[in-house]
Amino acid sequence: MTVATPAARSGSGRPAIRRKPTGRETVAGYVFLSPWLLGLLGITAIPMLYSLYLSFTDFDLLSSPQWIGLANYQRMFTSDPQFWHAVRVTIVFAVTSVPLKLAAALAVALLLNRKRRGTGLFRALFYLPSLLGGSVALAIVWQAMFGGNGAFNGLLRIFGIPGEPWVNDPNTALGTLVLLAVWQFGAPMVIFLAGLKQIPAELYEAARVDGAGRFRQLLSITLPILSPVIFFNLVLETIHGFQGFTAAFVISNGTGGPTDSTMLYTLYLYLRGFGDFKMGYAAAMAWVFVLAVGLLTAVLFGTGRMWVHYSDAGER
Amino acid sequence: MGRRGPGHPHPHQSAGSLHEENPKVTFKRQWQAYSGYYDKLSTMAAGNTAPDIFQIDEDGLAQYASRHVTLALDSFVGSRIKMDKFSPGLRQAGRVDGKLPALPAAENTPALAWDRTIAHQFGMPDLKAGISWNDLVTWGAELTAKSGGKIFGTQDPSAVFQALQVWLRQRGQQAYDGAKVGYTAADLTEWFQFWATARKKNATPPADLTHVANAGDLSKSLLATKQGATSFQYSNQLEEASKSTDHDLALVPYPGPPNAAWARSSMYWSVYTGSKFQPQALDVLNFLVNDTDAGKILGAERGLAPNLTVRQVVTPLLTPAMKASVTYETELSATFGATPPTPPKGHVQVRKVLLQEAENVQFGKATPAQAANQFIAQASAALSGG
Repeated sequence: MTVATPAARSGSGRPAIRRKPTGRETVAGYVFLSPWLLGLLGITAIPMLYSLYLSFTDFDLLSSPQWIGLANYQRMFTSDPQFWHAVRVTIVFAVTSVPLKLAAALAVALLLNRKRRGTGLFRALFYLPSLLGGSVALAIVWQAMFGGNGAFNGLLRIFGIPGEPWVNDPNTALGTLVLLAVWQFGAPMVIFLAGLKQIPAELYEAARVDGAGRFRQLLSITLPILSPVIFFNLVLETIHGFQGFTAAFVISNGTGGPTDSTMLYTLYLYLRGFGDFKMGYAAAMAWVFVLAVGLLTAVLFGTGRMWVHYSDAGER
Repeated sequence: MGRRGPGHPHPHQSAGSLHEENPKVTFKRQWQAYSGYYDKLSTMAAGNTAPDIFQIDEDGLAQYASRHVTLALDSFVGSRIKMDKFSPGLRQAGRVDGKLPALPAAENTPALAWDRTIAHQFGMPDLKAGISWNDLVTWGAELTAKSGGKIFGTQDPSAVFQALQVWLRQRGQQAYDGAKVGYTAADLTEWFQFWATARKKNATPPADLTHVANAGDLSKSLLATKQGATSFQYSNQLEEASKSTDHDLALVPYPGPPNAAWARSSMYWSVYTGSKFQPQALDVLNFLVNDTDAGKILGAERGLAPNLTVRQVVTPLLTPAMKASVTYETELSATFGATPPTPPKGHVQVRKVLLQEAENVQFGKATPAQAANQFIAQASAALSGG
């Protein structure tokens, strides 16, 4: 670890000189770090390692954990159809919600990137749903809106379309969850906007001179230059998508229903742990989840090399 | 001393009343809605910080008792805790492995709540005790037809555990045989099939409406939304159900011979084994169930007071809906059957599986036979600790 000495400290305006820190400085560095280190150890690292231990046990919270080796993992992969059902539901959820959310975010960011009156206001409005984030209140509103007598069906009725009990029908319940996730596209949108602002205007001018239309400009300039930002958002939202819990929990009243159609992985994990008192099994599920999402992220990074274009690559 | 109860403020007031009688005992109160109650309780118990006194229902009783989270009360009954004035049914209630891990706190019994306003609006006769299950379906189908399909005659209770339990008892069967499922896939197929037929006759609502009612939240029951004319509940829930509608609600026993009903302890008081104040906690329990002042404050929202003397004193002071539930249960209690044993560990999972498989039938994702076979497999696994 290096400790950079701030230039201002000497008062002479000399640039900081990198040097090996003295022992005292090393100690001071760790002391300053200690609040974070304690948090990392106490709140993250130790509980995580403990949960790894628990994943090899039968633990019902009330009596002490019994070591059962790999039995939890074995059961999960070989004799728990609900586990695989939850995996399928989660994959469907992530595979539909993530691309749709990114597409919505990018589309709105492109619109808001133009210099027009009131774009600031729209930017704030579009970001608002994300501020409410994984909130319970929002999920309750969603449940009411897409219920049999909800506002959405009221709207459809104006146009003479017979409604559907969207959240209570196993064929459409997951769709309403996807829609809720997509609607909260504010965070990636803001990041896209920041990325779009970085694209030099000269490139577009040059393209126009060469006769490129708007679509061509999007394909040949915007998307390639934005690709690192797209990649960043893709990784972040994929991880986020797999972690979906709150909306499914609230909309299904904590059951994952109707007929398990909204049984996301994290919800099933929670139900196994706190509903069925199978904490060891839930811990094992959590570790499988961490590994699976980690692996998926690694795959994304692998494919990223093929399509992500770093414009400063030559300089490095 | 910590104590808590899901749902409503009355126990807190009764704690205050005890504090006035004995100023040396003070209380630290915690409240938690039913959803999330067991999450919190089991997390606290895992950290050895459970409250000295807490409420528990039959969903968690066997689990907590077999893990020795709740103090066995047997050796205190007769001394610190009196049960001699309890109703006969409640004296049997709550035993786990022959021991008494918690004290019955209130008595209720299954009851079919029905909307008199709607029934009369469409000229339907009153529902009466002792009608058959088929009668209820016929009545329901007629009401649905007369309302032009806007209101469904009866709830589809195929996912409601205690409805299945009553139906089984009427056939001389039990919900549980020790720690095993007390009936076969064929029995359950018949149950699912009966309601599938009722659904075809439009006596019961389509699956999506039933799904909302299945969530068990009284504020979303068919009676509250006025989309249906009956709801399969427990007697004490009439009070809460009446609050969510301006219609006139009444109670009748579930269809079939009414003597299948039993005195059920709707809730239990428990003392934490790790409590540092066990003698005081036991006195508080005794106060809560046997003291008339405590009884007056607790009312009948959870059910009738377990102590028959307290019950008599309290009844005239109740709200009309609570009085109606007391009258209903008192009349029925003359023919009560035996109170069934406490459901075994895994009961919560079994109820969840029943909900899931009943909905699979309702949504047309499985035939009654397929769902019943699935249920038996999954419920058996849950009961054997899977």
